[in-house]
Amino acid sequence: MNIYITADSIVTPLGFNSQENIAALCSYHSAIMEHKTSTVADAPITASIFVDHKIRLQSKTMDIESQYTKFERLVIMAITDVLDQTHIDIADNTVGIVIATAKGNIDLLDYTAESMDGRISIWKSVDRIARYFKAANRPLIVSNACISGLSALIVGKRLIEAGVYSNVIVAGCDVLSHFVTSGFKSFKSLSSKRCVPFDASRDGLNLGEAAGAVILSTDNTDNSILLAGGAISNDANHISGPSRTGYELNLAIRGAMDEACVKKSDISFVDMHGTATAYNDEMESKAVTLAELHDKPVQSLKPYFGHTLGASGLIEAIVCMHELRIGTLFGTMGFQKLGVPMPIKVSPTHKTMKMRSCVKTASGFGGCNAAVVLSLPEYAKKSRPEPQNVTLRSICTVSVVDAHVKRGNKTIFSSKDTEFNVFIREAFKKLGDENMKFYKMDNLCKLGYITAGYLLRDFKYEPEEMGIILSNAAGSLDTDIEHQRNIGENGDAMASPAVFVYTLPNVVIGEICIRYQIKGENTFFISEGHDSEKVSKYVQMAVSESNLHYCIVGWCELLGTRYRSSFSLLENMNYVK
Amino acid sequence: MEELIEKLKGELIAELNLEEIKPADIDAEAPLFGDGGLGLDSIDALEIILILERNYGIKIDNPAQGKEIFYSVKTLAEYITAHQK
Repeated sequence: MNIYITADSIVTPLGFNSQENIAALCSYHSAIMEHKTSTVADAPITASIFVDHKIRLQSKTMDIESQYTKFERLVIMAITDVLDQTHIDIADNTVGIVIATAKGNIDLLDYTAESMDGRISIWKSVDRIARYFKAANRPLIVSNACISGLSALIVGKRLIEAGVYSNVIVAGCDVLSHFVTSGFKSFKSLSSKRCVPFDASRDGLNLGEAAGAVILSTDNTDNSILLAGGAISNDANHISGPSRTGYELNLAIRGAMDEACVKKSDISFVDMHGTATAYNDEMESKAVTLAELHDKPVQSLKPYFGHTLGASGLIEAIVCMHELRIGTLFGTMGFQKLGVPMPIKVSPTHKTMKMRSCVKTASGFGGCNAAVVLSLPEYAKKSRPEPQNVTLRSICTVSVVDAHVKRGNKTIFSSKDTEFNVFIREAFKKLGDENMKFYKMDNLCKLGYITAGYLLRDFKYEPEEMGIILSNAAGSLDTDIEHQRNIGENGDAMASPAVFVYTLPNVVIGEICIRYQIKGENTFFISEGHDSEKVSKYVQMAVSESNLHYCIVGWCELLGTRYRSSFSLLENMNYVK
Repeated sequence: MEELIEKLKGELIAELNLEEIKPADIDAEAPLFGDGGLGLDSIDALEIILILERNYGIKIDNPAQGKEIFYSVKTLAEYITAHQK
């Protein structure tokens, strides 16, 4: 089954559709500039930020009412644009929607308010977007830190392969706020100049705002690009620092290429995450070498758009599609002298070249990595195997609720003290775990860590054959509030990196992967409720395509004093090593 | 200096969530990072930068600079003594 990208839209300060953005890139325009004052940071910031009145004007032109937030408007603009390019009817039951975002409407978070603005909840905000379009299906939401955009592409593709939908609209968006900028600043990750990925002089990233959307379809129309393969891996090394070896990103690249049935000789170029932080670019140079693609041209698009977080994977993949089509490889603007350990081929200027397929990668907090392969349709491999359904068997289920840890229906640990912090610490000690990092985790991570601990006790497996797919409703809101309080009371400069790092829900997956050495597929979904048939279908396809032997699937929710988790360990009965 | 060292140990334990560790458990001259010692990591290093700024008014912009300063509680105390206004 071939899945094509049949329509695309990029919405950034460089333009409100793909054509405007591609034209800007062709003439080396960057959206990144120094903002001496802004509404998103206390201090001057070099970033790609929308001019408010341009969004208002565009909203007016498109008749998007003012009740919609900036995040919602940008998503609506991108989706409207892709719908206009095709005959697909979003009100049709066979059309699905997948939304990627790291933080949604986090700019509305007010820790002093008596009741929370409902739109802070990502699923509620996304439901508003779905209602705007009178969509037939409720969107799935992927919140996988900085790989969200690529994750969502992979989710959309697998949902079509699993027969859930015929067409899927994939959209991604993130906007900037004090919340986000202060956190990256506390990590000392921001550059005051325009970023220079892979360069010896690089000293950090620039943040950016963007939305993007594509339509995935089994129909090959004019100008379609084939989404030939996609894979996700985890470093199982550190929640914020990238792998020292690049081995795991290399696994994702190889996974995506295997699925696409492409060889090294089919790859025309590699578009990497290339944030321009010291460690990220270093890791990527190692990964691309391990994947034996180091003699291919490597690029990063961050000097044009900045790091647009949950949107980045998607909008950059869209640029890759256009590069394949027009036969131009965009330069990594500003690049002068290679400053990464492995000799990769980076060029500052655009190049005309013959195109076949490309690899697009991303890496993010929580140790996650993603890669996809995009191909010109005429180079689609006939040998690509059809997606196979697999049979999954539940080995066991562990749940944590009301100060009880249960395996199946049987209580295996309980505490008289129902206060979460006391209970979870006792549950940790009872597990006999001596990992002192437990005490540094936020409560959501502690909950997931303990649930996984009881689930995997004495269980043996290989790191690459285990995956983990979790969901919840509140995301990381519990810690989001703490971070917002820190900066609200004391200013951006007092943001704590040890708090900020937990403001992404998939970091709970990262903590579990580090402790239990899980390197396979890892994805975090946000949804209102626990039992999603669509997530189950995704799990099936993810296990099948990533050739996992086992996969943890579960719900992990914590907000204030309320918490509940339930993880199942599934075995792939069709697994062949 | 002794007083500052004891104060720093308390601050590190509280701010870096070093539960189960008492000030007496920390050897002022032992390495804070890497295997052995307290096993601190890159996020802890950033938190220490924040402690220096908030509690002592000392700014470190380049985390790479922190390597020698943050070697042990003692080197940290020496740096604070030399740079505090």
